[in-house]
Amino acid sequence: MSETLTLILQGVVDRLHLQATTYLPSLIAAGIVILGALVIATVARRILYRIFKGAAIDRFMRRTGLAHLIDPSGRLRATRITAEAAYWSILTVGVLAGLSVFGTDLTAHLIQSFVFLIPRLVIAGLIILAGAWLSHYLARCALVWAFNENLPYPRRLAVGVRTMVFFVAIVVASDHLNFARDVFLTAFIIFVGGFVLAVSLAVGIGASGRIKGYLGEKEKRIEDREPVRSLWHHL
Amino acid sequence: MEDNVLPAEAERALAAIKQADIVIGIPSFNNARTIDHVVKACYAGLSKYFPQLRGVVINSDGGSTDDTREAVLSAKVDDHSLMLLSTPLYPLHRLSFPYHGIPGKGSAFRMVFEMARRLGASACAVVDSDLRSITPEWIDLLLRPILFAKYDFVAPYYHRHKYDGTITNSIVYPLTRTLYGAQVRQPIGGDFGVSPAVMKCYLGKDVWETDVARFGIDIWMTTVAVAEGFRVCQSFLGAKLHDAKDPGADLSAMLQQVVSSVFDLMHVYESVWQRGRGSSAVPLFGFRFDVGLDPIHVDVDRMLTQFRRGAAELGDIWDICLLPDTLSEIRKLASDSNSHRGFHIDDTLWARVVMEFSRAYRTNPILRSQLVRSLTPLYLGRVASFVIQTENLASSEVEDRIEGLCLAFERLKPYLVSLWSGERPQHTDAGETATPEPDSGGKNALEVGNV
Repeated sequence: MSETLTLILQGVVDRLHLQATTYLPSLIAAGIVILGALVIATVARRILYRIFKGAAIDRFMRRTGLAHLIDPSGRLRATRITAEAAYWSILTVGVLAGLSVFGTDLTAHLIQSFVFLIPRLVIAGLIILAGAWLSHYLARCALVWAFNENLPYPRRLAVGVRTMVFFVAIVVASDHLNFARDVFLTAFIIFVGGFVLAVSLAVGIGASGRIKGYLGEKEKRIEDREPVRSLWHHL
Repeated sequence: MEDNVLPAEAERALAAIKQADIVIGIPSFNNARTIDHVVKACYAGLSKYFPQLRGVVINSDGGSTDDTREAVLSAKVDDHSLMLLSTPLYPLHRLSFPYHGIPGKGSAFRMVFEMARRLGASACAVVDSDLRSITPEWIDLLLRPILFAKYDFVAPYYHRHKYDGTITNSIVYPLTRTLYGAQVRQPIGGDFGVSPAVMKCYLGKDVWETDVARFGIDIWMTTVAVAEGFRVCQSFLGAKLHDAKDPGADLSAMLQQVVSSVFDLMHVYESVWQRGRGSSAVPLFGFRFDVGLDPIHVDVDRMLTQFRRGAAELGDIWDICLLPDTLSEIRKLASDSNSHRGFHIDDTLWARVVMEFSRAYRTNPILRSQLVRSLTPLYLGRVASFVIQTENLASSEVEDRIEGLCLAFERLKPYLVSLWSGERPQHTDAGETATPEPDSGGKNALEVGNV
């Protein structure tokens, strides 16, 4: 009985010893690689914070409204973006290099999948960013237009436009990533269909009197040649 | 370039006429109803005041479909005995051509200036085709300072109702005066006299495919003349009465066109306007007289409703344009005033609003159209405030109020300069005292008074 127990324990100890002697050096090596990457990333980030100014990028982001979009406080600078991008890129490469030390099929597959995913992730990220920018831009256009046309609830209209455009961007990005493609597409169709139906019902039932009044007032203004809105009084 | 500017029939007309002393340009688009009167006034003006000079009246048409060109060519202009005119030494020519280029008043002017240049004209005047109040004297007043007093640019000076021309009074006049230091009272008047030197300068600019050709020509002409150091004067033309315009015209689009033009020019002439401080009077010619004006009814309550609605709805966009202090003052005004009697946007606050919008326009090129259109409710608030403050004032007192606004703009010029240089300026209501520079405009026998 005791012999059997000793044998089992011996087996366990041997296996642990074997695994430790097999994987521990790799683990230590991976740790060292990742630690090294962390140090390099931190140093690179500090250096970039000090030397990289990126005035032209700042100007571009400010002028396009991207800076405000990504960081509403408006304090986002190219220096920060570049430094953080360098930090996370170096760290990611370090982690992948650290994983590759193990040399197993699993890690190799993991690294390969991730590397192949990177371009798609970048493009999907750009699609989302462009969609966010476009949704903001079009929402602002809709807001100002609706306000100046005296339409009811211009802010809600703007939010609707922004949501719709951003949703389109998400659908395109998910399609590109091949991620829950059907779910997003179906949701989008339901969303747009529902929106159109709601608007139709609102116009047809709820807001018909209001729209009639608005159109009647506009027509009356044209007929009366109302002085307040005539061109030359303002100029 | 010239080949593109003039149509073939204009080239043939130039070859036939060969030379002219005076050219009068009338841009038009579907103005058959009123252009007949304008052509007659131009003819009578040339016959009466310049009988010894060769004159040409050119209608530059934008593709009218209502027989505007036929109206120009068939206008009866031989009632000399009725108008007690002199007999011209030379026949007066009358031409009408469709202009080339993108549709707009600027393209029409370009053709007129090009023809005037090719004819070797000593002076050129341009007048709107929908004028109901133009008289032969206008032609004299727009051309004489150029022909006989060596001025390069004659701006119009109209007698207007106190609530007429509110974009001019509240934005364009105070801002252009502050920027370029010349007190041109009607910078977007639409009727001008120009010398060959100014015409050459205009034609040499690479702007004829831009918004200048579409809608910004009036302020562009005035600004170029002032900013590039040409001799500028004004002529008192009396009242300006137009043909009725489309009352449904979108105010925000109109405001966008005018304000964008001014802001664009601020960018072009940044180095010029950042130098000077204060402003000087511009000589005014013509006999000033009071005339009866069409009454103008303004709906203050509606304007205030729009202002308050704007503060509630457009806060996100104003947040991009206005600095926090200014925005909070605007928001306070919008939330405070329940009755319109106590409502008041003071001159300094309004000047800061306009200046901060100009900065936002400069730094956000992609959002420009939206930013300027979002100015509409603020502008309506300012007009409402102006109407409330001047309800019981006579025209001359209202003019004093506008002068006060201009001085507020001038005091805040350092604030504008620091805004444009990217600094975060500290505004003070006291501001800096504007120090007018000595009047550089030459006075002469033609001058009857300064404003």
